[in-house]
Amino acid sequence: MDMNEIKEIFFQECEEQLAELESGLLKLNDGDRDPETVNAVFRAVHSIKGGAGAFGLDDLVAFAHVFETTLDCVRSNKLEPTQDVLKVMLKSADVLADLVAASRDGGSVDGSRTRGLVKELEALAHGEVPAPSHEAPKPAAKAAPVAAKVEPPKPTDESGFQPVPFTFDDFGSDEEPPIEGSTYEISFKPRRELYSKGNEAALLLRDLSRIGEMSINCDTGSLPALDKLDPEDSYFGWTISLKTTKSEDDIRSVFEFAEWDCDLEVKLSEAETSDEELPMVPVPFDLSALDDAPVMEDAMDDTTAQDAAAAVAAAETASSVAQAAGAAARAAKKDTAAAAAAAAQNNAAAAAAAAGQTIRVDLDRVDRLINLVGELVINQAMLSQSVIENDATGTSAVNMGLDELQQLTREIQDSVMAIRAQPVKPVFQRMSRIVREVADMVGKSIRLVTEGENTEVDKTVIDKLAEPLTHMIRNAVDHGIETPEKREAAGKDPEGTIKLTAKHRSGRILIELADDGAGINRERVKQKAIDNDLIAVDANLSDEEIDNLIFAPGFSTADKISDISGRGVGMDVVKRSIQALGGRINISSRPGLGSTFTMSLPLTLAVLDGMVVTVAGQTLVVPLTAIVETLQPEASAIHSFGANQRLISIRNSFCPLVDVGRILNFRSTQANPVEGVALLVESEGGGQRALMVDAIQGQRQVVIKSLEANYTHVPGIAAATILGDGRVALILDVDAVVSASRGQSLRAEMSLAATG
Amino acid sequence: MAAKKAQSGSLKLSAVLDLNEASALHGKLMAMRGGDVVLDASDVERVGVQCVQVLVAGARAWDEDKKSFLVEKASNAFEKTMQLIGINPANLVAKES
Repeated sequence: MDMNEIKEIFFQECEEQLAELESGLLKLNDGDRDPETVNAVFRAVHSIKGGAGAFGLDDLVAFAHVFETTLDCVRSNKLEPTQDVLKVMLKSADVLADLVAASRDGGSVDGSRTRGLVKELEALAHGEVPAPSHEAPKPAAKAAPVAAKVEPPKPTDESGFQPVPFTFDDFGSDEEPPIEGSTYEISFKPRRELYSKGNEAALLLRDLSRIGEMSINCDTGSLPALDKLDPEDSYFGWTISLKTTKSEDDIRSVFEFAEWDCDLEVKLSEAETSDEELPMVPVPFDLSALDDAPVMEDAMDDTTAQDAAAAVAAAETASSVAQAAGAAARAAKKDTAAAAAAAAQNNAAAAAAAAGQTIRVDLDRVDRLINLVGELVINQAMLSQSVIENDATGTSAVNMGLDELQQLTREIQDSVMAIRAQPVKPVFQRMSRIVREVADMVGKSIRLVTEGENTEVDKTVIDKLAEPLTHMIRNAVDHGIETPEKREAAGKDPEGTIKLTAKHRSGRILIELADDGAGINRERVKQKAIDNDLIAVDANLSDEEIDNLIFAPGFSTADKISDISGRGVGMDVVKRSIQALGGRINISSRPGLGSTFTMSLPLTLAVLDGMVVTVAGQTLVVPLTAIVETLQPEASAIHSFGANQRLISIRNSFCPLVDVGRILNFRSTQANPVEGVALLVESEGGGQRALMVDAIQGQRQVVIKSLEANYTHVPGIAAATILGDGRVALILDVDAVVSASRGQSLRAEMSLAATG
Repeated sequence: MAAKKAQSGSLKLSAVLDLNEASALHGKLMAMRGGDVVLDASDVERVGVQCVQVLVAGARAWDEDKKSFLVEKASNAFEKTMQLIGINPANLVAKES
């Protein structure tokens, strides 16, 4: 396995970790305070950082490190995960995802965005509450900046952490409050092993300098002459005087991972005597130039060192916040450091355990298998048919064997399809990011609620779903939801809600996107359609027809074109891609209450259970999932309605009768219902219709062959298939036929789709 | 000219002066003994203690030889690390206050 393969696996794992991260953060956002959730989030970021370090992905490591530090504050209850905090975190998760993508595919991430977030994250880690959008600043936040100013180092250079100006009235102190606390006398002499294990004394000193005000004396006495010097041995020793508010334990924890490879002595010194005894050099506060390199070095050298750095960073941040809050719990800080290190180790174990349960298979292989199984199904059907034709008795052992074969192929097929079936969750998660970003851009506050995200659907469907869904989400955020001011004026919650639901319904997957915005402005849509010559000025359209105008090509109601949507290439593209998937899209809108888009998609694009029927001499396949029941109509149950509509009465309720042969133009006159069979079908709208066909041949599983790919789209026909005898049969698009029966012919519906 | 060149040399320090670089640096310095030397530290991004040890030992050796041993154009990182370790970056001796 070469490096690239390993790297590829790393990126795949990153995807999983990012999903974990996001779902964890969203859970927190919904008020979940389970420590396990916080841990999961922390672990996700930590794992990404660890892996990225091993591959030398500097940007990724640097950002993940800062993110991790802030998350650790949440984990140790130093930082309350409020909505504002989580907003920053979610944005950081997005940037992290971008960085991962950039590392994998090349390209770069907008530096200013990363830097801005690094700044925000550090502010949080230092105990500052982000400037709340609506409410007044919380009193607790006032204490924070003091600690931030005392804290000398800045974890990453370019970000240049800037304390937010706060009032210091409560403190009555000036700009730089003096550090109070005790002075420690530290003597530190590394041994050769410390360096050979990849630790670096300079980094330990740097970490030490972050704890408090440090003066240092370097003992170079044991350094031999240049020609006798072993470059890899250790000769320097240090005497350090550290003035800090931290405890001895905190100081020792800096050396935690090097303890065994150095001589270390930490003791409380008598006040201010140290300076006279030893020549000390004060170490300046600004060591920022050193700061981003060490993270990398740690990560590359070995994981222990990295964990050490993380633990140290964690301990530091934790303590600074604690200091600000005036919380005691000194012992707890050491625990934090230990916990961080422990978590890091558990991490690897957990990742290994999770990896054991799944294997990664190239999608091509699965596709090939599915294709072969598809052929197997056709072949098995052909075999059955020829046996039945040649053996009229139907009781032979061959027939029994065939039955078993049929069951087996069926099971194989189900299992293979199950390999491809995946929950829609990843797509939904991507949507929540889009909502956040777009809402941010247009200055709206929007919550995305998802439901049924574990609904499984074929991978190809999932893949092709993302794009149209993105378009629609953007539209909903940009046009659907009003601005907070308008919402408030309308007496609604200033925060808009977009609800994304997935569910199985009649053998298809139904995806609903509902917003609680203003709904479609029908007057404007109609006017716009007239302006754009999409409809005639005097066209008399129903509300539904007007709503559907937004799917027309070249249609946009937005007054001005924005980056997000409104170029008029949106909804018609959405409609086309949904149709290409064998799906349908509907819109329903209530003025002032919002709009709902409903997409119905097939679960799989490969096979279908169908009922084979004959209509006017043609063999058609009706998807079994759509059929509720079949019945033989009696003359007394048929009622005429209007000029050429008929109803059938079934158990004391009426149901429109749809003549399939007439609608598909297979014949020019209406068939006699009594001579045929009625299939009671349920359409996506929820209503029932009776489809009239001439005869039922039987039920069969058919392999779907796209008609569009091989021929062209035919209204009312979803796809084609090859039957057991090798003939091509058409698969009926039940919903299209049903909607065509509502007055308009199929052609009319198509032209509406094309023009408006 | 050749003689003059042996008299004074200049050495550009690598960007990363870590454990691995210490031996190389030691070797380079050993080879330059006997003449004035100017170290260019402008590219230095990271300095480890072990390279500092070599540099300090070098400075002493040159001092014994009564030759000059100068660090020029010290980068920010170089200076900061030296300060952190407690070494005067200008003349590479332990700082005294």
